[in-house]
Amino acid sequence: MTESSTLRSRLRTAALALTAAVVLASCAQDAPQDTWDPAGSEAQKIHDLQWPIFLIAGIVGLIVFAVVAVCVVKFKDRGQPIPEQTHGKAWLEYLFIALPAVLLAGIAVPSVAVIIELNDTDNADCVVNVTGQQWWWEYDYPIAGDGSICGYMPSGESGSIVTSGQMVIPTDAKVVIRGTSRDVIHSFWVPRLNGKRDMVPGRLHTWNFHADRPGIYAGQCAEFCGLSHANMRMEIVALDPVDFQAWIDNQLEPYQSPEDGTLAADGEAEFIAQCARCHQVDGLTDADGELVVAHPEDQVYSGAAPNLTNFATRNTFAGATWDLLTEECRDDVWEADPENFGERYLAGVDRDCLNAIDLRAWLRDAPAMKPMYTEPEQLEATDGLVRGMPYLALSEDQIDSLVAYLLERK
Amino acid sequence: MFTTGTKLLIGSAGLAWLAAAVYGVAQEGALGTIGLISAAVALSLLAGVNAFVRDSNVSATDTEAFDTSAAAQATARRSLWPLLTGIGLTMLALGMATLPAIFVLGLIALGAGLIEWLVQGWSERASADRAFNDQAREVVADPLELPVAGAILFAIIVYAFSRVMLGMSTKSATVVVFSVVAAIILALGVLVALKRRISVPVVTGVFSIGLLAIVAGGAIAGLNGERDIEVHETTADLAEANRCGTEETEADSHASQTVAAKSNPAATLIYDGSELEIDEVGDDGQVGTITLPRSNPTNVMFLNESEGEARLVLELHPAVDADGVAAGPERICTTLVEDGGRQIMTVEFDRPSFALEAEGVNYEFVVAGSDAAVEVIVP
Amino acid sequence: MALIERPRTGDLTPAVATPEATYGAFRRPVHSTGWKSWLFTIDHKKIGIMYGVTALFFFLVGGLEALLIRAQLAGPNGTILSADMYNQMFTMHATTMVFLFVMPMAAAFANYLIPLQIGARDVAFPRINAFSFWCFLFGAIFINTSWLLGGAADGGWFMYAPNSSVPFSPTNGIDFWGLGIQITGVASLTGAINLIVTVINMRAPGMTFMKMPIFTWMAFVVQFLLVFAIPVITVALFLLMFQRSFDATFFTVEAGADPLLWQHLFWIFGHPEVYILILPSFGIVSEVLPVFSKKPLFGYPLVVFSGAAIGFVGWGVWAHHMFASGLGPISVAVFSVATMAIAIPTGVKIVNWTMTMWGGKLVFSTAMLFAIGLIVQFTIGGLSGVTHAVAPSDTQQTDTYYIVAHFHYVLFGGAVLGIFAGLYYWWPKIFGRMLSETLGKWNFWLMVIGLNMAFGPMHIIGLQGQPRRMYVWTEARAGEGFFNLGFWNLISSIGAFVLGFGVLIFFYNVWRTHFGRHKAPPAPLDPWDARSLEWMTTNPPKEINFDRTPVVSHLDEFFHRKYEDRGDDHAGYEPVATAEEVLAIEEANADDDVHLPSPSYWPIILAFALPIMAYGVIYNILLIAVGGIIVLLAMFGWALEPATAPDSDYDPPSDGGTDLELPTHG
Repeated sequence: MTESSTLRSRLRTAALALTAAVVLASCAQDAPQDTWDPAGSEAQKIHDLQWPIFLIAGIVGLIVFAVVAVCVVKFKDRGQPIPEQTHGKAWLEYLFIALPAVLLAGIAVPSVAVIIELNDTDNADCVVNVTGQQWWWEYDYPIAGDGSICGYMPSGESGSIVTSGQMVIPTDAKVVIRGTSRDVIHSFWVPRLNGKRDMVPGRLHTWNFHADRPGIYAGQCAEFCGLSHANMRMEIVALDPVDFQAWIDNQLEPYQSPEDGTLAADGEAEFIAQCARCHQVDGLTDADGELVVAHPEDQVYSGAAPNLTNFATRNTFAGATWDLLTEECRDDVWEADPENFGERYLAGVDRDCLNAIDLRAWLRDAPAMKPMYTEPEQLEATDGLVRGMPYLALSEDQIDSLVAYLLERK
Repeated sequence: MFTTGTKLLIGSAGLAWLAAAVYGVAQEGALGTIGLISAAVALSLLAGVNAFVRDSNVSATDTEAFDTSAAAQATARRSLWPLLTGIGLTMLALGMATLPAIFVLGLIALGAGLIEWLVQGWSERASADRAFNDQAREVVADPLELPVAGAILFAIIVYAFSRVMLGMSTKSATVVVFSVVAAIILALGVLVALKRRISVPVVTGVFSIGLLAIVAGGAIAGLNGERDIEVHETTADLAEANRCGTEETEADSHASQTVAAKSNPAATLIYDGSELEIDEVGDDGQVGTITLPRSNPTNVMFLNESEGEARLVLELHPAVDADGVAAGPERICTTLVEDGGRQIMTVEFDRPSFALEAEGVNYEFVVAGSDAAVEVIVP
Repeated sequence: MALIERPRTGDLTPAVATPEATYGAFRRPVHSTGWKSWLFTIDHKKIGIMYGVTALFFFLVGGLEALLIRAQLAGPNGTILSADMYNQMFTMHATTMVFLFVMPMAAAFANYLIPLQIGARDVAFPRINAFSFWCFLFGAIFINTSWLLGGAADGGWFMYAPNSSVPFSPTNGIDFWGLGIQITGVASLTGAINLIVTVINMRAPGMTFMKMPIFTWMAFVVQFLLVFAIPVITVALFLLMFQRSFDATFFTVEAGADPLLWQHLFWIFGHPEVYILILPSFGIVSEVLPVFSKKPLFGYPLVVFSGAAIGFVGWGVWAHHMFASGLGPISVAVFSVATMAIAIPTGVKIVNWTMTMWGGKLVFSTAMLFAIGLIVQFTIGGLSGVTHAVAPSDTQQTDTYYIVAHFHYVLFGGAVLGIFAGLYYWWPKIFGRMLSETLGKWNFWLMVIGLNMAFGPMHIIGLQGQPRRMYVWTEARAGEGFFNLGFWNLISSIGAFVLGFGVLIFFYNVWRTHFGRHKAPPAPLDPWDARSLEWMTTNPPKEINFDRTPVVSHLDEFFHRKYEDRGDDHAGYEPVATAEEVLAIEEANADDDVHLPSPSYWPIILAFALPIMAYGVIYNILLIAVGGIIVLLAMFGWALEPATAPDSDYDPPSDGGTDLELPTHG
């Protein structure tokens, strides 16, 4: 093979790779965080803006490669005389400045328009507060003056809904999140619904979501946030209006203690003894009938721990990193068609579907699953406050009862 | 290697160190030890300098060096340094009897005088060529003299100028004076830069006049005394003193309002004279409740659009322990904000609202002296 | 300037005593061979070589870190590195490659070549030059000692606050990082001032700015960028040091701080830094392409001005690293458009290189291949850059592997390929032997294939939604089918090892050229038929660089001494002299009396004190005093040092010679 032909073939490969990346990536269906597969109007705006730019970039690239290839083939030293010693022609150079300038101006105008559109938070149908902390997301739903939540009026008494891991939103609604952080900078990113927005402590940043269809949309914290950055995920669950109303009503149902004598009742006592220092369960009362109020700020550096009031209505735990559902049940929910999705999701977790292996492993030794700086010497900098769930030295019996108790939280 | 003089100094230094150590251990006395250590440091320094410059010992057999030996040199020239050394010694003695500051200054004067004396003495005997000797002195002394002189000059300018600034009757006057002085310096700089040829005496003269002016100004201002410097108070002081009412307090006039605004607050509370309106994203113009996160410092902006001054207060209802001691302040507040003014308040809640409800209270933003209120829901 | 300092007139020579003897203890070292000749050298060529060797060593270190990262990510839930170790690894990979490889490598070329290219005998401040190198070396060692002292920095090279505060990173890693970068920053800053003065003041007679070789031009622009960028990061690092070591609250939110302050400071430095990394390589290929095309650089003035334009506009685009950080739409829009604008001067360079080849007489040496490789690979990186100059598109791409792909095409496909082009091109000049062209081609193709295999798939991985800086990725988010993350992550990891192998071939090539049984013969005087001044001397150059200070009348002076135009239309160039003949003329008219600056102890001693002080900040405040005393002593020693050691003159002074004493007030 001659040098020129190897270079030519290499150029062809490079060009092909680029075209492949640009064109074919838009057709892929499978990766849950595919940025080229919009499922909501915000992501669609970005997509409509970016694919022509990728196309233009690809074409410009091909032209450059072609010219280089021609040079390599045509002007190889074959004993021709020394070429003219000239620095080139001025008009040609100005042309090469003007061309990209015009091209870029063409790109700039629609870009600015989309930037403004994406940041428009007027006329929100639903507002959700999002708070990041190492290494999970908390969502709380503010109650409007008329008692409505996210634009929906609860059937019973209104109250605060605090969840984590999965953010549940209604479809066909403009959802505005108001985000901040309790410790370091995190970034909220659900690619199929919108680009990313950093959540900065001390600042309130807004970002919009609009889901076209019911379903689960996967996301991942995108700003490096320390040790377990890789284990900080999120999911947005979009439900159609009827299902969303049902979800709100379910979340607000008053607390019910397990029946006396059941394993779950033991679990409640264990929970109060072991977990309620950090984890809030709304409405939980102790043996004296006193409300149990968690004080995570005394235990955890970020000052918060996930609210577990409706734990078993969620599909994930520990920063949406582990599934609460077995693989089979999980696929059932994820792959459900839009009509059935709401029903499947609202079913929550039951004993048959529970991914007991991961949940029990978590209760047994959480830091072994998710690095969280729990060694004593690493806690000096925080005056002993932990960075995530510590090792609690629970016995298998305690774990049994806690699992039973948690399964009833829905 | 070491000349006799150097050996003498090294010996003395060692002795002084030893004496300092013995005295320090035996007597545990601070002053004496300090004195001996100072002497030891000074002697070590002298020994070092002497070793480095080497005095001009000439062996009797070294006939070639006769021409260059000290004996062959011109007589010593005028010198300022014996005087400085003398002053230093006097201050040392005076300082011991009176003020430690004078003692320290004397020590410095003594050290400086001795070093300069040494360098000059050495350089005058460096060779038979006077010009070369001057050059040699500069090479050794300049790296010491210039930075020290520069630092002293700089300190004088800064100190004098700071007296002028502090002597001004108001803050705005300082701004004017500062700008004028800066403008003059800039203008002079421009003139010097533009004029291609300018004689050194002219530049020196201008600088000297400027320096004199600053020093004189500083002296006058220093004698006049400083203006009253206001105590810095913050809204945290207000909360601590529980003075969140309608009346004006010390802190209201002293707290800085200029740094009170901040980007991206969680919400803006607007007071129109009768009601508190909440302005937050996605929740425009609603009245009644606001949801803020638990255990997270959150910035809330207060905007006063009423006719008069107003103060935003957050009622916190802190948890009370068994002895009835509250875990934190009862309430926090902004300063009195003038009409059209705004101020940020950083709030943090360590209990959820439902924990307060059990006690029959709730978190509440109110405007002092009015009925305007917004309930805070902390999930 | 109105105040003109005139050189001292009059003879200061004393009757008997000489200054050197009089000042006693402070004799300058006089070594021209052995390890001491390197330790105390102030010869820009030796310093350049030391910069290069150190940088290449850290290239291997950074490469090893990269391979560990790719090994960890080859499959899902990798277990080769712990989360903590992984975070340290990617932080140090970036830090090493940026601060300890590409920047000093550029300094190596600049140090070695600028005096040669402008016909000078050394840089303006030779001792400061040595000081710069030692600061860099000691700073680099200092940063890397953190591996053994409780763990390296783990906050990412961008070190965003507040994640860089003590509660979030309890080890001393970030302290080492911040203080170490501070020390290497001293190196960059002093080096930059030195080279700026050198270029402005020490060009050979006749070499106007527009006759200056293009590499010198680009390096010159870079030095200005350094002079303005380093102070910004210095301020930021001071804030970080006070935050971590002295309980300051610059980034503590409870105290009212805004963490975005750090991001602005970091990227105001960080974006010009990108051009600091890439422009020297632009300069290198702009030298290599004309030589192997037998044509002058197409649009030389435009390449110069576009380089300067990049240097200016590079200051106005920093916030494009912060499109997702919530700046507000107006700022984002402004920075988005500014970022697109900087694509224009960059595009100009690509066009000019291509047009340089057009109509030429192309010889595909290894250096030329690397240069062409740069054009192609950098274009890919540049175009993917345009896709995220568009801010909405960037919110999908930033912090994903797409960005990783982008800047590796720019920095590996751009900066590193350029550096390798330079190494192959100037190797015979610097070391007097030619690297094997056969091995060189293996080197080139393996690197290019490895580069595209390693970084090409990252475009896909990123667009499929895999964020950066995650110590594991999971099957659950990998998807299936052609674009599944598992396959492409594996390809990328294999590619990284191919790339690593390609780099090793370079080192084998070096070993073989100089030490092996097949040791290369001494290189010919002008192996590439080169065009610029640095080739108008021996290989390697003598200590005095040029026998006679060259007089320049053309851009590409050397070419014009070898070839002359027989016609009127610049078309009939014919050889008139060989390189040997050109050189013979210079030798015959050698300057008589050349004073070279003498070696010195002080630069290395002064530089050595800085890490001592830095250790003091971390461990014991007393160490700062120890370091401070050494600094003071070294500075006085430096100041008291006689200008030259008489016995280190190149030629003993003779009557009537031109006295070409160099300034030594460094």
